Amino acid sequence: MNEIIIGIDLGTTNSEVAIVENGKVHVITDAGNKLLPSFVGIDDNGKILVGETARNQYLIYPERTIKSIKRLMGQDTQVLMADKHYTPQEVSAIILKRLKAIAENYVGRSISKAVITVPAYFSDAQRQATHEAGQIAGLEVVRMINEPTAAALVYGSGQHESKRMLVYDLGGGTFDVSVVNVQAGVVEVLSSHGDNHLGGDDFDQQIINHIQAHIQAQHGIDVAEHSKAMARITRAAENAKLVLSDAPFAQIEEEYLLEQDGAPIHLTLELSRLLYEDMIEDYINATMDAVHIALKGAKLIASDIDEIILVGGSTRTPCVRERLFDEFGFEPHSEVDPDLCVAMGAATQAAMINGQNVDTVLVDVTPYTYGTSAMGYLDGAPYPFQFIPIIHKNSVLPTRKSEAFMTFQDGQRVVDVTVYQGEDPDALNNIEIGKFIVEDLQDVPAGNIITLTLDLDLNGMLHVSAREKATGLEKSITINNVISGFQEEELADAKQRINGLFDQQSSDENDAKPESATVAQARKLIKKAESLFDTASAEDKEDMVDLIETITDFLDSSDENALQDLVSRLNDIIYYLES
Amino acid sequence: MTSPYQTLGVSEQATDADIKQAYLQRVKESPPDRDQQRFQLIQQAFETIKDQDSRLRYGLFQLPEADFDVLLDQAFRQTSAFKPLSADQFCQLLKAVPVEKVLESILASKSS
Repeated sequence: MNEIIIGIDLGTTNSEVAIVENGKVHVITDAGNKLLPSFVGIDDNGKILVGETARNQYLIYPERTIKSIKRLMGQDTQVLMADKHYTPQEVSAIILKRLKAIAENYVGRSISKAVITVPAYFSDAQRQATHEAGQIAGLEVVRMINEPTAAALVYGSGQHESKRMLVYDLGGGTFDVSVVNVQAGVVEVLSSHGDNHLGGDDFDQQIINHIQAHIQAQHGIDVAEHSKAMARITRAAENAKLVLSDAPFAQIEEEYLLEQDGAPIHLTLELSRLLYEDMIEDYINATMDAVHIALKGAKLIASDIDEIILVGGSTRTPCVRERLFDEFGFEPHSEVDPDLCVAMGAATQAAMINGQNVDTVLVDVTPYTYGTSAMGYLDGAPYPFQFIPIIHKNSVLPTRKSEAFMTFQDGQRVVDVTVYQGEDPDALNNIEIGKFIVEDLQDVPAGNIITLTLDLDLNGMLHVSAREKATGLEKSITINNVISGFQEEELADAKQRINGLFDQQSSDENDAKPESATVAQARKLIKKAESLFDTASAEDKEDMVDLIETITDFLDSSDENALQDLVSRLNDIIYYLES
Repeated sequence: MTSPYQTLGVSEQATDADIKQAYLQRVKESPPDRDQQRFQLIQQAFETIKDQDSRLRYGLFQLPEADFDVLLDQAFRQTSAFKPLSADQFCQLLKAVPVEKVLESILASKSS
């Protein structure tokens, strides 16, 4: 049997893990919960906390807890947790490790491969960081797929009529919109657009600002200086937002929030949905602008769209549905839980990569234009940084495009190549994503030809190479090395460091510890043996019951050899009964 | 050399809808995750003949895929004596460079 590949939605607020089992997608629960809050913390004893416990700790020890790390992915920065510095990749890796353990616990064997979703509008650096987080967590990231695409895969599978769908994915920290054509078992993304810093967290922040202003006006206190109070306000703001999804008013109450001159300050504030929707109007407008850009990219108009799919928890905000209804004239769909849809799509894609039969395949595009700069013209005047697009946005992945350039000075030995991402004709207005130098060129007159090749892989990650025509001299880089600067050794160090954190935990709490192959096999055989109880003779049954008892006793011990022996004895009986 | 029509398995009289249907079927058989090269071939074939405009362009310059680098080499190589491109090679070079781009640069040079 093939190795299992899990599907992971690594979200800003919540993360999920799913697998395909007997042809069906299953989101794996941990202690009854399908959602793992994307919180990481270190408790008083130096033990690592992930999920709900870390989320709870955030209220008491915000300085020991990290939330919404996804927003920092791809940035050259570090966060402080219990007086230690961590890169965003490391914090994400902690969440991934937990998800991996949840899945391992469920399937009863170790897992080393995953498909991880990223927002469609994630940049190259953000994708690279996500890939690194996977490696640190001990997961080979076999593919990164775009979140709205993953959702479309779930809605598109088993769909027989051809349909055009608009996927509106508003999560905790990111917004994506994709236009998708579903036809003949192919989910074909026609265009994508988005904003990788727009989401529910911003809505929370608006409410937080409102509460801060209220306290400032009432008591003259700048609450931003009190981290615990801020943590409580943050939680209260988020709760108020959730209440307003269903109710016209939300009551915000936090008793004993602060102290002033020895007297406690209680927070009581009513927030109406009307006021809240006012606060977030600019954000919603921005999402609608993106919807129009995506439609234009697909060369379609609103009336060409047959279905709208809502993905991400923030689409529960009523005005999102209303605005989409106004625009398209019909109600959006959200039958598949908007919080789980993406993980399910990731698992489906994982199954497809693993060679399992799935009835839907995926064709995705890049939401970005990639290119370089060269001597050229801007508004009719000579300009040294004209943007030369090479891979255009909404190109189908994978794609590989070349462009030829010529040196402009006699005897020019070196060419600087800068790669940009963006649409502006002035390269300097686009995002610089990497720089590299083609050296040791021939000493020839101007006009030496250099071919620049951009390769965008299925993960949406860019690889760049340049070649001098005359000599065939090649210079190749992957953009990642330029930006995130995470070298192999650093990655290995980070892996060890994060492993260390978990080891500390598993010594006194063994549920997160991945099981050995023998233990996993033992568990499976026990299940199988039990299913044979009804048909086996009384004597065989008694033998099996005895063996199972002995094996169970050995499961927690580290005596692998003894266990192996018992397991093979049980296996023999099962084999005998089944033949 | 297989033509894009052959790659997709459609006749030259096929409609947009036929071509799209054939493309999707080929993609279903060879998804990008299984065989990237095969997929890219299918994708390229589809983009070459997906609508009337692209079919017209393909029809006008119906030549096998040009090796852009070799042609450039021939046009600009410093070492050998100047040798003009043959009409055939000129067509190939035109085909390798998107028509819009050629037109754009002509228009730009006229306006400036």
